[in-house]
Amino acid sequence: MSLIALGMAGCASSLEVDMPTIPEPRVVKIPVDVAVRIPENFHNFTHTEDVLGKSEFTIYLGNSNANFFTQLFDYMFDSVVVLGPDDDPRDFQFDALIEPSIEGFEFSVPNQTQTSAYSVWIRYRMSVFDSVGNRASSWTISAYGKSQKEGITGTDSLRRAAVLAMRDAAALIVMQMDKVSKIRQLADGPLDPATMAPEEQLAETQREAEQEPASVIGIFAIGGIDDAQ
Amino acid sequence: MRSNLVVAVAALSLCGCITARVEDARETSTGIRSGESIVIMAKSYHGGNETESDYVTCVEKALAGGSKGVSVIPHQRFVDELFPWFEPRTVPADTKGLPGLMKRPGVKQAISDMGVRYIIWLDGDTERVAEGGSLSCAAGPGGGGCFGFAWWQNDADYVATVWDLVDFESAGTVTADFSGTSFLPAVVVPIPLIARTQTRACKGLASQLRNFIVQ
Repeated sequence: MSLIALGMAGCASSLEVDMPTIPEPRVVKIPVDVAVRIPENFHNFTHTEDVLGKSEFTIYLGNSNANFFTQLFDYMFDSVVVLGPDDDPRDFQFDALIEPSIEGFEFSVPNQTQTSAYSVWIRYRMSVFDSVGNRASSWTISAYGKSQKEGITGTDSLRRAAVLAMRDAAALIVMQMDKVSKIRQLADGPLDPATMAPEEQLAETQREAEQEPASVIGIFAIGGIDDAQ
Repeated sequence: MRSNLVVAVAALSLCGCITARVEDARETSTGIRSGESIVIMAKSYHGGNETESDYVTCVEKALAGGSKGVSVIPHQRFVDELFPWFEPRTVPADTKGLPGLMKRPGVKQAISDMGVRYIIWLDGDTERVAEGGSLSCAAGPGGGGCFGFAWWQNDADYVATVWDLVDFESAGTVTADFSGTSFLPAVVVPIPLIARTQTRACKGLASQLRNFIVQ
C-alpha cells in the first residue's frame, strides 16, 4: 500500500517560484499618486494542471505577484499606497486606483510540445479607476516566458520561464501603462462622467469579449478580483 | 592492468569525431580599447531562436578567459541595467533602432558606465540530427553486462552578429558549424566515445570572435 502511495506521489510534480528580480526601469516616473489594490490571491497564487505523463503539476507563485506589482508601481509612479483586499479606498488620498488581477495562467512542458522548451503564459487584467471610483480603463496583458530544458528534471527551466513571463509583463506595463490607460490625466482630477467614451483600451490587440462601457462604477463595491480564477 | 584499462577508456572517451567550419563576414573595421567591453546576448525567442543559456555563458567565459581575454559584461547584468529595453519582447530588431534606444532616459549613460562597445547576438542551437544502433544491458545474480553498439550525431550551428554601439552599425557576423558523432560500443563494459560538439562550437566561435573584434 505504501509502495502504491509512493508511486502515485512520484507522478506529481511541483515547484515554487521565488520573487523575480524586477530591476528599476529606465523610464521617467509618471507624476500620479496611485493606490494599488492587491487581490487576496496575489499572496498565495497556486496553479495546478494535469500534464501528460504526470498525474498533476503544481506551481506555487506564493507572494510573488504581490511583491512584483508593489515593486513595479513603486518604480513607475511618484507615490504609491498599497491597499489590502479589505481596505476602504475612501480612507486614502490618491489620483488613481490600480487593480491588477490574474485572468489566466498556463504552461507547457517538452513532452507536450515535442520541443525542448518550457513555456509559461500569464494573462493579467489591469483595471484603473479615478479617485471617485469611475472606471478609467481596463486592459489585458498577455505575458510569455520560454526557457530551454536544462538539467534532468527541468524544474529550473520551468521556474525560469515563469520568471521571464513576469518580467515580460513588467516590460509591457512599463511601456504601455501611460499610453493605454491615460493614467497621467487622472492627476488633474476625476473623470467627467458626461464626457467618458466607451472603453477601447487594449493591450496586445486583444479586444475584450465583454465590451463594457466606461461607466460610473463604485470601486468601493468592487472586490479585489476581476474574473480571476 | 586495471589502471591501464581506466586510462585507455578515459582517452577513448575524448575521441568522438567532430567536423568544424568557422567563418566570418566583415562589414566594417573593428577594434577594442582598454576600458571597453562586450556583451553576449541570445537573440529573442519571440523570433523563434532557441540558443541555450549555457551556450551563452560558455561563450562569455571563453572570450573573457586566457591571456588574450577581452572584458565581457555578464548578459544578465546588462539586461537588468537596461530594463526593460533588452527583454526578449523589446530588444531592438536591428541597428536602426539603436539611435532611438539611446535617447531613452538613462540608457546611453548606463551603456557608457559599463563600457559596452559591442553587443554580440547569438542565434542557433545544438540538435541531435541522427542516431542509430542498439544496445542492451542485462544483470543477474552472477553479474551483468552490456552488448551492442549505439551512435548519435549532434549538429551545432550558431551565428554571432556583432553590433558596434559607437557607430550604431553591424560590424559583421561569425558563423560556427560543428557536427559531432558519438559512439557507444559495449562488450560487457560500455565504452563511451563522446563528441563534445556544443563545447567545441563554443570554443571555436569564441576564438574567431576574439580575432574578429580585436583584429
